[in-house]
Amino acid sequence: MTTSIGTGQRRRPVWQLGFVIPCLLAVVGLADIGLRFMSIDPFTFRAWEALLRNRPPGAAFEPNRDYDNARSYGDLAALGNFPALRQYRVERFTTDALGFRNPPRILNEEISAILAGDSFVVGSGVNDDETLSSRLTTSMGCVVYNAGSDAGRVVPDEILSVARRLNLRSRLVIRLYTDGAAVPVPPTRREIAAVRLIGRLPADVRAVAGKVRGFLTVSPLQSLSGRAWKAIDNGRILPNKYADNVVRATLVNGDTMLFQATRVDNFHRRRDLSLGYWRWLREDLSKAGFDLFVVLVPGKYEVYRPFLVDPQPLSPGAGDYLNRLERALRAMDVPVLNLTPFLSGEAARSLQRGKYLYWLDDNHWNAQGTALAAAAIRAQWPLTATACNTTRSPAVQTP
Amino acid sequence: MLFNSLAFLYAFLPITYVVFWRLTGKMPRYVWLAISGYVFYSFWNYKFCSLMLFSTTVSYLAGRGLLRWRDPGRRRLCVVIPVALDLALLGFFKYGNFAAANLNGVLPWLGMRATLPILDLVLPVGISFYTFHTITYIIDSYRGAITPTRNFFKFAAYVSLFSQLVAGPIVRFRQIDQDFEHIDRADRTADLQTGWSFFVIGLLEKVLIADTIAAVIDPALARYAELSTVSAWLCVLGFAYQVYFDFGGYSDMAVGLGYMFGFRLPQNFNSPYKATDIADLWRRWHISLSSFFRDYVYFPLGGSRGSRWLTARNLMITMVLVGLWHGANWLYVIFGAYQGLLLIGHRMIRARWQRLPQWAQRSATFGLWLLGLAIFRASGFGMAAALLETMFTWHAGAGMVGAGALIVTLALAAVIAHWAPNTFEIRHRWSPSWVAGCAVLFGICLFVLYGARPAPYIYFQF
Repeated sequence: MTTSIGTGQRRRPVWQLGFVIPCLLAVVGLADIGLRFMSIDPFTFRAWEALLRNRPPGAAFEPNRDYDNARSYGDLAALGNFPALRQYRVERFTTDALGFRNPPRILNEEISAILAGDSFVVGSGVNDDETLSSRLTTSMGCVVYNAGSDAGRVVPDEILSVARRLNLRSRLVIRLYTDGAAVPVPPTRREIAAVRLIGRLPADVRAVAGKVRGFLTVSPLQSLSGRAWKAIDNGRILPNKYADNVVRATLVNGDTMLFQATRVDNFHRRRDLSLGYWRWLREDLSKAGFDLFVVLVPGKYEVYRPFLVDPQPLSPGAGDYLNRLERALRAMDVPVLNLTPFLSGEAARSLQRGKYLYWLDDNHWNAQGTALAAAAIRAQWPLTATACNTTRSPAVQTP
Repeated sequence: MLFNSLAFLYAFLPITYVVFWRLTGKMPRYVWLAISGYVFYSFWNYKFCSLMLFSTTVSYLAGRGLLRWRDPGRRRLCVVIPVALDLALLGFFKYGNFAAANLNGVLPWLGMRATLPILDLVLPVGISFYTFHTITYIIDSYRGAITPTRNFFKFAAYVSLFSQLVAGPIVRFRQIDQDFEHIDRADRTADLQTGWSFFVIGLLEKVLIADTIAAVIDPALARYAELSTVSAWLCVLGFAYQVYFDFGGYSDMAVGLGYMFGFRLPQNFNSPYKATDIADLWRRWHISLSSFFRDYVYFPLGGSRGSRWLTARNLMITMVLVGLWHGANWLYVIFGAYQGLLLIGHRMIRARWQRLPQWAQRSATFGLWLLGLAIFRASGFGMAAALLETMFTWHAGAGMVGAGALIVTLALAAVIAHWAPNTFEIRHRWSPSWVAGCAVLFGICLFVLYGARPAPYIYFQF
């Protein structure tokens, strides 16, 4: 079929695939571009993805954002596509002007310690007032800055870049390391140079760079389509191709708990210690006048494996990574607190009451977990009200 | 980069197309096609571009040598050296570790202690295809079937033509030489409709049929020991249609892309599941490969001109090589040998076979093909044996997740594969309602491509 255009002398085929399909591609492409100007909050199930989108280089999240979701749920339920196992909860997630998860007013306050690490520090899955830094701030009376980000590796230059913008009362870095995360290695020279370069860029430039990156890499249409296909790959209409990402296990009380498959595999592997990173971290922080305090956090699988029905047996040398790391750090005179025994014991006690320290559907600890971790840190780490008034932490003096 | 990826549809194809048609003259278009081919290839591994360039240069120089020299000795060298180099590269990357592993198993039996190293090699994608492109060029030049080109960029564009680069069809130079010669005279609109028609049909075959089948049978076959007899048959049947619509779809997309740029690529699948015997099936299945082995292996071995035994030997050698071409794995060798036996058997009972009703010939041919595919799909001897055992002895086993979707898709696939005309038999002149229908299905494909990573084609691994 042809349709006359203009004077009728020139005829352009319209109802032909060679015209319709490129037009369709163009329309879908334009729709994709148009949607990229919109917020992706409605397409996300939790704050993490929504606030990572326009993250400026050097920041953890998009600065000055409030994210509220009344039906947020766990990363493992999403990763394994198990909608029936979601634990819906309210999530409120606020970021400060530097792009970290803190109340905006924190930049006007005196900071006693910087808490650095991965999503456990950020407080994925819990509300603003339930993060570890909030718990420590509330319970110890001195302000702890949440510098957690998705990059599990903590680089001193990044901390120093953040620290320069803070009103520091005490030069202490608490480095939280979670079992199951990748074994950190020192960054290359090129990576350090990039971090330093980013640190020198004006905030406006970094913000624009973050938005451009977000625009180019995050497609709401892709998110929408991905969620639609997950509804079809549900294990009934089509096999759930995401299920292998997650280990679905039954606890002795009959509840179902999810674990990330790669973390379970990591736990059961014999992992060699690599202390180069820790040595480098301590020395670089020390050069900048910061003290380092390491807190080791057990992964969810390590805590709950003893309570699983038919747990996978441990092979020799596997499953004790944090204990070995703790011993090695102590031998290096790095102040360290291993939360494994404490949280394991508390998990056993809580389980009897049908309560948990970690979400059933998430890798991360819940509000109860952060409260207990804060209590353990407070009990073992002598950062008292006095210390909050000193310029140098006593932490390193009493490892 | 995959044809069924957003990067290809939204960036590579429009840029390549627009620039190509904006250029005038042969040379700029040759250069642009060559560049675009290398860019396309570099999305997998840019380091292997040098390998393709090396193979291209050697073959080009050999062609120039064949143009220049008339004495048989030099001409023979112009064939032997580049073909040997091509095969050496192919052998090293594709069969080196296979050979070493097998020799390491055999050497102790011979009382030798040497152990050949197993190298950490990455198989360059498409090497089996572009190597065959260059080999056909050299041999055809030597035989005088074609006149080698003096234009390096024309030859480079032929070898690296992105539409046929990584998974064929294995296009011979003589098949598109005229299109290259008239590249400056090609009309951009004349073949655009046909090109898009081929491309859309290929995409629908791949995304909606092959990938849907794969979504169900791949997880089931990963737990092959738990399959019931019905599930095992469904899986093998599903694989038969998956591999056909996957590779057939890819070939249709390649042909469609060829049309968009003024090239008429040859038909690669001619409704193979309508075949009435196994020889007929191989004349219809992956035609560019089977004709390559026919012309460059089977005929030089003597073909069917000798005794019955010699013919059988030639058939078996050819089909074992066809099997081995698919990968460095004994299962492929067995698959090839099985096909060789079927072809030999068919020659022996041809008269009686032809007396069967046509539906019986077709059904039996398809059934025999299915058995071969059970071997072809297996990841090891254990899986092949278990799969065949489950198919032919009753196992209650577990049901398949997604069996309903699979059966619906298989029914659709069967109708298309066994009864519908293929893409070379239709006119590609669509009524508005058909265009609207295709647009809707294409939209669904796009939605799939947006939501999930595009699934690679089965034949990329070969």
